Amino acid sequence: MKKIKFYISALLLVAVSAMSLSSCSEDKLGDTIFPDVDETLDPSSYTYQLDKFLKQNYLDKYNLTFLYKMPDVSTNMNYNLVPATYENSIDLAVLCKHLWFDVYDKVAGEDFLKTYGPRIILLIGSPAYNPTSGTEIVGLAEGGIKISLFKVNAMRINDFNMMNEYYFKTMHHEFAHILHQTKTYPNQFNTISIGHYDSNNWQDRSEGQVASLGFVTTYASSEFREDFAETIANYIVKTDAQWNHILDLASRGWASGDEDDVTSQFYCYYYYPDNDVTRDLEYVSEFNVFIEEDEDGTIHKYWRNNVDHDGNRIIVYDVEDKDGIDGVQAILDKVNIAREWLKTDWNVDLDELRKEVQTRQISYNINELRKWVTEIQ
Amino acid sequence: MKKYFNIFLLALVALASLTLVSCKNETEEIFDDDAITRLEKAKADFIKILTDKGGKWQMQYYANSNEPGYVYVMTFRNDGSVTISGKNEWIGYVEGESLKVPTYGSQTSLWDVITDNGPVLSFNSFNKYFHVFADPEDIPSMSDEDPDETGYGHEGDYEFDLMKYSGDTLYISGKKYGIDMIMTRLDAGIDDHVYMDEVVAMADSFFNAKIPQVYMNLPNDTRWIIKNGATSILKMFREGDDEISTAVTHNVIITHDGLSFMNPLTIDGYTVQNFIRQADGSLLCRDDNETTITADDLNKVFTIPTFIWKVDTTQVGGAFATQLNTLKNELNDYGKRKLTSIQISYDADNSRYSLIFGCLYQKKTFYPTFYLKIEPVGDDQIKFNFTGEGDAASAVYAEKCPALNSIIGLMNGNTFTLTTSSLLAPVDMKLSDSGNGANYFVCKL
Repeated sequence: MKKIKFYISALLLVAVSAMSLSSCSEDKLGDTIFPDVDETLDPSSYTYQLDKFLKQNYLDKYNLTFLYKMPDVSTNMNYNLVPATYENSIDLAVLCKHLWFDVYDKVAGEDFLKTYGPRIILLIGSPAYNPTSGTEIVGLAEGGIKISLFKVNAMRINDFNMMNEYYFKTMHHEFAHILHQTKTYPNQFNTISIGHYDSNNWQDRSEGQVASLGFVTTYASSEFREDFAETIANYIVKTDAQWNHILDLASRGWASGDEDDVTSQFYCYYYYPDNDVTRDLEYVSEFNVFIEEDEDGTIHKYWRNNVDHDGNRIIVYDVEDKDGIDGVQAILDKVNIAREWLKTDWNVDLDELRKEVQTRQISYNINELRKWVTEIQ
Repeated sequence: MKKYFNIFLLALVALASLTLVSCKNETEEIFDDDAITRLEKAKADFIKILTDKGGKWQMQYYANSNEPGYVYVMTFRNDGSVTISGKNEWIGYVEGESLKVPTYGSQTSLWDVITDNGPVLSFNSFNKYFHVFADPEDIPSMSDEDPDETGYGHEGDYEFDLMKYSGDTLYISGKKYGIDMIMTRLDAGIDDHVYMDEVVAMADSFFNAKIPQVYMNLPNDTRWIIKNGATSILKMFREGDDEISTAVTHNVIITHDGLSFMNPLTIDGYTVQNFIRQADGSLLCRDDNETTITADDLNKVFTIPTFIWKVDTTQVGGAFATQLNTLKNELNDYGKRKLTSIQISYDADNSRYSLIFGCLYQKKTFYPTFYLKIEPVGDDQIKFNFTGEGDAASAVYAEKCPALNSIIGLMNGNTFTLTTSSLLAPVDMKLSDSGNGANYFVCKL
């Protein structure tokens, strides 16, 4: 009986196989139905100069498609987005080259970005707002190959801080994502601030509060990966003064003006009304504090432009750091991990990278950079 | 054994039939070309259509169902650029003007026809005058309420499915929000700025905020009251019905030729959408050639109690002109007084109308007032009946200036025919003596 069953099965198998083979024999793959794409640029095109610049400097060199004509289909349709202006697209195209690609070429070698760089850069004119959380996306790295830069239409080319915060930092932030999406960074990084991330309410935190917890920005305090990308990006683009300011914030103690309100402002100074220590303390922001150093180097801090009833300056005190975290050390530890990872896994010197970016971003002349495009014949 | 053999046969037949089905070609050759080839051809066709004959088009653009539509003039070029011109209050906003000021703006940006599920017209670089409706920034409030629209903006589209081309009209549909719109080809020689000025002038000629309501007059003699016309968000309800419980709103667009509703309306079995401005200022439905939109009968408009009609003393004729000149001379003789105004208004407290002459005397204006009744006659005529009474000043001025009585005499007991430059916004009316058309005067709101 078992034999019969076997034969029946065998016969069925043979029959089906024969039929299947014969039915498949006519399903040969033919030529592609997709037409050949003509890559030749049309010199009469309105965008010929930019297109040629992008082809020569991104597509031919890095196999990278630089998309500035935004097709909605390339974006998350849940967001309301608009395309970038043509003029700002030119500016960002040359700035990306000058402050990002050329930097890596110089510091890491020309093959680095050819191998590990993104394959698509997409420019989007507006931020991607999330009305529910009140946040906005200004950059996005997807799948290790695509980087989207948002808010392009808001660019103020002569506002260094704005350019640094929204564009230059975003470039390095998103590229850091691309790199760690390719090679994982040491898990040790994730342990430094474990328990202090808040993915839901990071936007309600204050700059000083998160610095004291060991984060370079509020966004860094949202989750591990963003912390990693933010640490690298901020270290690269922040000037010495800006970076030291972050460390200064991290070294302080911070107290909430209203502990029941998660959106409440945090303060690092307080005073007693009329210098009367028996009264309830009041917090004061650093912008209203006057710092004076006397001849022996002693530092005095006063509430700016206010005196007590006896005409004495009102003394200001530092808020005690009670979070139990050495924020400065945490930030520096994170930078060290990123530095080591970049060196060992990518052969990239983070400090050299920072130096090169810093040099370029404070000295570039946008009119000269635009000539890369406008002088193309 | 036989049992297994039967099972074998049955299985073989079943499989064979299944296999035969699978062998059959999956699709018939419905089209001559494959999908990609057809899509590429459609793309090329639409690029040709858009750039043909100078490439100038009018787009009737709607951002959403709650705002008016706006006309844009677009010139598509083969080099991938498009010049977009418009004149509306949102362009004014972009330029830092008041939201109430329609402002002209024109900017060149980029366009393309891309292939998605079908050919899509994409305005793929930011044009500040056009993408203002797609920008997700918070929009300024035009009312007391100021909701935060950050992340949403107007939610307007800038990519459009190209649906159909017929008779120099392109039928398009917003790709994300699905609003159907049309584009019509314009003569290449049209000046964008002049064209947009004419569109705004057309809008100004339609609905005047001084006329509180107008009427959609259906072929079955029913009327629908239209309010808020000046906002292009029309509030409509059937005449006689309760406004609060039955009124609905419809957004419209004012075009170069008339007015169109965003979507077709079906009322009492009549479907209407597009209206063309007529020489008399009324709107005639292009879809049924019967339905009109007008103000009320002119004599009813003239007798709206809240209206104050001012006589345009530069537009009087016949005996009125003669007596008006006489009156001016008599006032001059009467202590160098000057005539500053003549107006007709309703005195609600006393249920009567007043004919009031403004007379300036030594920096002070006096208003001798004569009382009258106005009786509507037919649809477009009125009859003046003076009561012979007036305020204290009227008797004094009538004695010093006999032309006042002459003017009243030209009006009293006579029937006047009303005409206007716009049946939709009759804010000016010519009153002609029905017995002697040469005697007339023009009143303005």
